[in-house]
Amino acid sequence: MMSTQRKKYDMNSPERGPLSHEIMHGAFMKEGTMVAFPACFPGATTPIVADESLITALDITPEGIVHGGTSGKKVHLFAAAFHGVKGAVFDIGAVDGAEQCVAVCSGSTHLIAAVNGPQGGRLVRTAPESMGSDMIQEWGFSRKPIEDLGEVAPGDPMQHAVAVKDVVIGTTTSRLFSVNTESGKPQIVGEVTGAGRLGVSGGGVYGLDGATHLWRYDIANGQIQRHAVALPAGKWGVPLMWSRGNREGVLYTADNDGVLFRFSEKNGFSAPLGKAPLTPVGPMAVTFDGRMFGFCGTEMARMFGYDPAKKEVTDIGVALSVIERRRYGYTFADAITGRDGQIYFGEDDNLGHLWLYFPKIREI
Amino acid sequence: MAKSMGRRAFLKSSAGCAAGIGWIATASEAKCPPAPRVARDMNDYHVKYYPFVDYPESDTCWSLSVGPDGRIYAAACGEGIPGGVVKVFRYNETTDKLDFILDAASAANDPGDSGRATQCKIHYSFAPSMHDGVLYMATHLSGPPIDLPAYSPWYFWHDPERCFKGSALIAYDTKADKVLWSDTLIPKEGCRCLLHDEERGLLYAISYPRDHFIIYNLKTRERRDMGRIGSVNSQALFLDKKHRVWTTSDYGKLVRYDPERGRLEHSSVSLPHNPAFQNGWHSVFYDVVAQPDGECVYATTWIAQPRLLRIWPNEGEWPVVEDLGSMTQDRDHTMPVDTFVDHAGGLVFGGDGMLYVVASRWRDPVYNPMPPERKRHEGVIWRIHPKTLQREEVAVLSEPDPAQYVSRGAIDHNGDLYFAHIGAKPQGIYKVTVPKNRKKKNAHLPIRMWG
Repeated sequence: MMSTQRKKYDMNSPERGPLSHEIMHGAFMKEGTMVAFPACFPGATTPIVADESLITALDITPEGIVHGGTSGKKVHLFAAAFHGVKGAVFDIGAVDGAEQCVAVCSGSTHLIAAVNGPQGGRLVRTAPESMGSDMIQEWGFSRKPIEDLGEVAPGDPMQHAVAVKDVVIGTTTSRLFSVNTESGKPQIVGEVTGAGRLGVSGGGVYGLDGATHLWRYDIANGQIQRHAVALPAGKWGVPLMWSRGNREGVLYTADNDGVLFRFSEKNGFSAPLGKAPLTPVGPMAVTFDGRMFGFCGTEMARMFGYDPAKKEVTDIGVALSVIERRRYGYTFADAITGRDGQIYFGEDDNLGHLWLYFPKIREI
Repeated sequence: MAKSMGRRAFLKSSAGCAAGIGWIATASEAKCPPAPRVARDMNDYHVKYYPFVDYPESDTCWSLSVGPDGRIYAAACGEGIPGGVVKVFRYNETTDKLDFILDAASAANDPGDSGRATQCKIHYSFAPSMHDGVLYMATHLSGPPIDLPAYSPWYFWHDPERCFKGSALIAYDTKADKVLWSDTLIPKEGCRCLLHDEERGLLYAISYPRDHFIIYNLKTRERRDMGRIGSVNSQALFLDKKHRVWTTSDYGKLVRYDPERGRLEHSSVSLPHNPAFQNGWHSVFYDVVAQPDGECVYATTWIAQPRLLRIWPNEGEWPVVEDLGSMTQDRDHTMPVDTFVDHAGGLVFGGDGMLYVVASRWRDPVYNPMPPERKRHEGVIWRIHPKTLQREEVAVLSEPDPAQYVSRGAIDHNGDLYFAHIGAKPQGIYKVTVPKNRKKKNAHLPIRMWG
């Protein structure tokens, strides 16, 4: 039996009170406010079934309508809005034969989602939900059909996709493709390797190209440039994450050790900015003043922030919602920046909630 | 044992049918029924307290169960002690004392001075195995490392030196009086409650703090994590005749695992609560006991003004939940009351076929102005007739003071009742010697298969 020579804590120590307080309360969010919103219209609908509601993909329209996709026993697509006389998550519907949603892409006329199932990956499309009702007085919703756009590369699982206006650019595990949201006909652009998410900066879409470079897809001419950008020194190889809600083309990413970097098409990679408290680094999004917030770590993720003005990384803590819904938040898969600079996080857990983070307001 | 009958037949045959039907409510209706008439029968129930004299530092006793041998096992926990560990005792009816059985730290090879959170308690996690005489027990967390004053699983989750090693599953042979084996049931987390489906050879558990539903195969010793339920953590599981395992979610929805479907399912309605000041949140199971015929269970909720419920899991797609009313007194609804004060637990069926449950009672200048000679808090042992639902107050627990919080109850093979106590030191258990005409041999059978 292993044993140590640690001295038993003196419970009469004057330090006991503050130390106990730090231990009991110090793990949870230290700044800002989280609100966990259930995947339903509270008071009007039931939430998406618990094991079908792991939120793994988010996007947002210019009007501030959030679109999302879930994973689990089934994939559901949903719309949500929290401005004006709204405040609901609307279950657009379930996608037959799909168990994982890796991306939702909001176009002006259609919503396209990249999903995976036992048969492989495919794209589906539906009309976006306007969330136009008055959700205090009277409301009306209708479910539009979810159209199967089929496989892009037979047998290949979908990996990620992003919308650039009305064109969706995405990857399977071996192919880069594009699809116009209006036509709904995917076209393979070429072969790519690597794993992870896609980032948009300037006129390019970027993805991991092996363990040392990024490839670049030129949005204007539709060409791929392999090994377009060398990755900075670091440990690379895990599925790449990029921050969302970029302003002026600035993206954040991190290597396997959680070392953060800024990237833009214009300026390339920055020097290391700091280190996230845990690895792997998960979803991140940037609010209007340039601060970035994200989650890191497995099983019980911690929120962290990066403030470019102060050039510092902050360990914010385990997510907690105490307004209306009392819930711990442990695992998150995607993030976007909201209409007013709040950050939405998709909770990748049974009975997944949409978490709205309102960052602490800076003192002037 | 009573002959098995369903809910409708049960009510039809009941002398108190009219009163019973008047109280039936689906969970969505959540009515607050009137308090039943109280009869007092205080003369024949002899209460004796047994402190853990061989572990005077122990500070809680969450788990008390009858073992497969018909004897009573209790966990003396050390959750407020740096480096504290849980020790298991068994009531010895020959010597009328508690015998030390094991300490979980040794059994799990996870010593209290490791620097990690300790194997400090067993929390509703005794589960018997009748065919081989084994009593399974799974440990829980909260006790601080030896050199710290407190522990939080959230704070230390990613700290390899401090994080709880995990809930230790210990197989204790009650015939040979030895630990057969141990394993980690849930890495990094504690086990809030445990259940044994002996026919299938499966243990079911709820983890803390992440509130995951865990299935452990005793043959292969493999664990399956069925995912998260919520945040609050239900305090009990129960098993129905179809091998489905039931618990509750944060908003008091029934949650069941159906092995045939292989997934967790949630009911659409919340368990009964007081709609004047509650919304179903936190109306999770606190304690659940099966009626001896296995057709229904009785449960209390883990929220102020805990309700007594009767659930018929074998009937319908989702069962009817009967609201049998609050187990505790009314009070000022603008004042949040601690569930330590306002509490009901220790559900157990007696040899007389009656349901016994212990509920708290406390002095309140408006709602319950008890005379000054009475203790401010006391635990009332209620005897409830399953057919008429009439409640009798048969004994009061008042020493050590306060004595209002009973976590679990059990009945031994002689038909006497035992209750675990959380409150003032010294920690220990109550034995309630039942009148002879209300006892029977092997009264612990059919045995409760969950903690």
